[in-house]
Amino acid sequence: MAYLEMRGITKRFPGVIANDHVDFSVEEGEIHALVGENGAGKTTLMRILYGMERPDEGSIRLGGRVVHIPNPQAAIRLGIGMVHQHFQLIPTLTALENIVLNCEPRQWIFLDRSHARRDLEALMGRLGLEVPLDLPVAELSVGEQQRVEILKLLYRRARLIILDEPTAVLTPQETRALFSMLRRLRSEGCTVIFISHKLGEVLEIADRITVLRRGRVVGVCNAVSTNERELARMMVGDIGMAPRSSDRKQENGFPVLSVQDLEVRDSAGRSLLKGLTFEVRAGEIVGVAGVEGNGQRELVEVLAGLRVPDKGQIRLANVDVTFLSTRERRRLGMSVIPSDRLREGLSLASPLWANLIATRYHMRPFSRWRLLNPRNIRFYTSKLIQEFEIAAPDVDVPASALSGGNLQRLIVAREIAVSPRLLIAAHPTRGLDMRATQAIRSLLLELASRGTAILLVSTDIDELIALSHRLLVLYRGEIVGALPASQADPETLGLLMAGRRPS
Amino acid sequence: MAWRGISQGLYEIGRFSATLAIALAVGAIFIQLTGREAGAAYLALLESALGSRVALADSLAAATPLILTGLATAIAFRGGVFNVGVEGSLYIGAFAAAWVGFAWPEGPAWILLPGAILAGGLAGSLWGLIPGSLKAWMDVDEIVSTIMMNYIAIAFTSYLVNYPFAVPGLANAMSPPIAPAIHLPRLLPPSQLHLGFVMALLCVLGVGVLFARTTWGFELSLHGMNPVFVRWAGIRAPRVILTAMGLSGFLGGLAGALQVLGIHYRFIANFSPGYGYDGIAIALLGRTTALGVLAGALLFGILRNGASGLELFAGIPLELVRILEAVIILLVTAESFMRWRTSKVKEA
Amino acid sequence: MTAVLFATLRMTAPLILVALGGLLAQQAGMINVALEGLMLVGAFFGVLAAYYAQNPWAGVLAAVAAGGLFATLMAWAVLKLRANLIVAGLALNLLALGLTRYLLQVLFSTRGAFAPERLPGLGIVDSPFLRRIPFLGDVVLGHSPLVYLSWLLALLVAVFLKYVPEGLQLRAAGENPEAARSLGIHVDRMRALALIVSGCLAGLGGVQLSLGNLQLFFENMTNGRGFIALAAIYFGQARPGATVLACLLFGLFEAIQIRLQTRMGVPPQWPQMLPFALVIIALTLISIYRRSRKPSIRL
Repeated sequence: MAYLEMRGITKRFPGVIANDHVDFSVEEGEIHALVGENGAGKTTLMRILYGMERPDEGSIRLGGRVVHIPNPQAAIRLGIGMVHQHFQLIPTLTALENIVLNCEPRQWIFLDRSHARRDLEALMGRLGLEVPLDLPVAELSVGEQQRVEILKLLYRRARLIILDEPTAVLTPQETRALFSMLRRLRSEGCTVIFISHKLGEVLEIADRITVLRRGRVVGVCNAVSTNERELARMMVGDIGMAPRSSDRKQENGFPVLSVQDLEVRDSAGRSLLKGLTFEVRAGEIVGVAGVEGNGQRELVEVLAGLRVPDKGQIRLANVDVTFLSTRERRRLGMSVIPSDRLREGLSLASPLWANLIATRYHMRPFSRWRLLNPRNIRFYTSKLIQEFEIAAPDVDVPASALSGGNLQRLIVAREIAVSPRLLIAAHPTRGLDMRATQAIRSLLLELASRGTAILLVSTDIDELIALSHRLLVLYRGEIVGALPASQADPETLGLLMAGRRPS
Repeated sequence: MAWRGISQGLYEIGRFSATLAIALAVGAIFIQLTGREAGAAYLALLESALGSRVALADSLAAATPLILTGLATAIAFRGGVFNVGVEGSLYIGAFAAAWVGFAWPEGPAWILLPGAILAGGLAGSLWGLIPGSLKAWMDVDEIVSTIMMNYIAIAFTSYLVNYPFAVPGLANAMSPPIAPAIHLPRLLPPSQLHLGFVMALLCVLGVGVLFARTTWGFELSLHGMNPVFVRWAGIRAPRVILTAMGLSGFLGGLAGALQVLGIHYRFIANFSPGYGYDGIAIALLGRTTALGVLAGALLFGILRNGASGLELFAGIPLELVRILEAVIILLVTAESFMRWRTSKVKEA
Repeated sequence: MTAVLFATLRMTAPLILVALGGLLAQQAGMINVALEGLMLVGAFFGVLAAYYAQNPWAGVLAAVAAGGLFATLMAWAVLKLRANLIVAGLALNLLALGLTRYLLQVLFSTRGAFAPERLPGLGIVDSPFLRRIPFLGDVVLGHSPLVYLSWLLALLVAVFLKYVPEGLQLRAAGENPEAARSLGIHVDRMRALALIVSGCLAGLGGVQLSLGNLQLFFENMTNGRGFIALAAIYFGQARPGATVLACLLFGLFEAIQIRLQTRMGVPPQWPQMLPFALVIIALTLISIYRRSRKPSIRL
């Protein structure tokens, strides 16, 4: 009898079945990985386990007994804890205060700080974790914050710990530290559920792996008896291989984007980007690899015109655009697919037509003398949703009515329909299912073949290797490696991304 | 952006009727306190507000400043700027118009009248651009700054008519009277309805066109929905904020100016019973559309005008109307009331 | 000089009480613009109850209850019916003004002021022994008991927010409601309580104004003080110590207003405008400071 047994779990949301009669079981004291593409239902399943969602059907057994988990409090009482992708910490409270929040030791009506401190120091000692207890949590590093989150769970005597994509925000060293801590927890008898789509890491740390696809369990296997290829096949089914850029001949076009000695500093003077010099030629796809947080965001912002660099020059089609506005850069042929789809790429509450002409409403034929031309707008946008196969009844519905994949299609449609000279694409396929991902990758390749220069920023190494002609690796704001895709492999890139030189 | 189905419109009307009904019920409770009868009281109110041509005209006159403050607030709200400072713009605009009126008593009307109106609007606009610039350039929260600006405006204009522009020998703090030549003509004497009402209607038209058909309106709405996206699309957010606050302030100042030029004929300290704040309620009532604001302003104008009738004929203190208004405002903004969705005004 | 300081402490007490309430609401993440109306309601019902019961403490109780009740209405509208917080607050101000005027007319047939002869005041806390302390004795003693209460409450609120678990939870609910919920904290309940307490405290401030300071009620007697309290909260960034200091500063302005006018010919409107202008300057400076220190968190 497994320690945790979720049987027949079904959860429906409007228009989609997130979990479809899922049977999920975990043994006590094991590290169990839950993998699947985005949208496969992993997070929903765990949210049900943690009491943040209620299943429409199915049951949960813990230690043999049927349990009901109506809210996170109940889950905590059952010894279940969850560390979310976006940390749930209170910025101005200290680590100590955050950890003991809502189950504080008391002395009369006051918080018994020394008692808490003693408990926490003992806990940290047992696990080999170190976290400064008296600084406001906002001042801690990302790795430290994650440790605070984990301490929060352990303080509440969690025996079953759920981690949702924990390594997405960590450097390789911090990932290593996390893994050794997980192994220590396992030796103490804790059970860990590890949600991830990074197959290499999963194989390294997990004992067993459950694969979800489209809300159903596709397979459960031991980590030792499987490999990445097989896992990927289970996750993704039988969709053909992605077309690769290196199969194509390199275009030798003129440099559309040329960046010289670009430097961006934050308000404290620390450099976020330093000495960046590179160019992207017409028809070329240049991939920018790196762990998130090494300057990618600033790079995209500077190129798009939302930030002014402290030093350096940006040239677009041989025009100095360093100090030009976003609108002027777009006029010169630049398009941007921003990394934060919902916040930066769209207005969810606005109708589709507004989203589609948001970059060009001030130009003909959409408006003249500051007056909009509704007929032309309708005509153009209707055509666009057909051409790009965006699933929507008409152009008047708000963007919020669309699914994730369709939203990205919307953004891509808007940005590439103008046949830009330069496209900056930041994480264009993040969070999309395989079908949508393939579609967008094909669009990018086609765009490049027609002469657009593309700068592709992504954390997905496979995507970068598959699509790019050349790769740049960004580490702490500097380019630490530049190589043609044919010479790039995951190990070399991984080392460069970690700031080490490949042997 | 006025693609509303018929069903949506009916739903709105239904929801609003429920709101009105509840407000009247609450009012009835208060009327009971005085021992009077609610039905007769409300009848007296309606009679007083709509019972004759003069009464109707007076209701329209009462609605005039509300139309403008409602439009002013609606513009800001649509742009995602929670401007609570229309009251301040109203005061500043009122004084500016009065100043033009009493500083040049001999001047020709055809210059002075448009001059006074323009002065009022521009002064209000500049007043609004102060917190507007702070928000556009330095991200200072506009809710608090605009509230503060209101109190500064009220105190400042009070200072102006008590000191530099005081009229000696007068107990009430007010400015010298404006030149008779630039009084806005009355449309239906003996009612108070003046030409300003027509101007307000024109503003309704203008703002409606602005919202629905101009590029400015498009930028405004888009910014209100998602100010981050707007920057990535190439729209300059500071410009949108400044335009919104400038226009909002202009209409607020205009509201004050028209009160001076059409009703009081001078600037009186503390003259506003909260027109600016009512504008917020009216903008929400009208779902930040131009026609909606017109309807809301007319409603409030009727209530205001009827209030005196309430007192005269039914013996109920006219403050009851305030209570009714407060209840209406509370219910209008309650999104869960009859499960209304989609609000463009950000939740604090 | 001592007279000025005495007057300052007197003027400041209502502000402190109201600001403390608003501060708690602010820490819970809610800006309470209804402080003005809640204060007015406290002032009115305080006088009303004290008159009918011929007992000032009945008035105090009524003020606290009235403020709490009105705040409950606001909390219900905002948290249950999902009304917009600012608009609901403004509506409440309108309601308070209209209601107090209405009742004044209905119950006492007056407009303007209600100043009956037989209205018991709150009395004065004095001690001939302590009076002998030079300077401080004349400044600090001789105030209504609520003045001393306001200082005590300021201390209690500060302690509450830092050392009492519920205070930390309140701050958590205000800073990151989702995180707080995930730990089992009832965010909406905390918010409602914070609003209601802010109503009670504002009511207390109101009754200090009507019964403690002046012993009468007149229409709209709060006259913007609720917003000055709000200004103090923003000036002090919702920290108890700084907020109380801001209240003292603004109370000082009010106290010397007449003096400035009669002695130096300074129009009373200038000190009236000062708190509001200061807040805008402070907010601008804070914004400038914040922009130069962007956080680097993944929260």
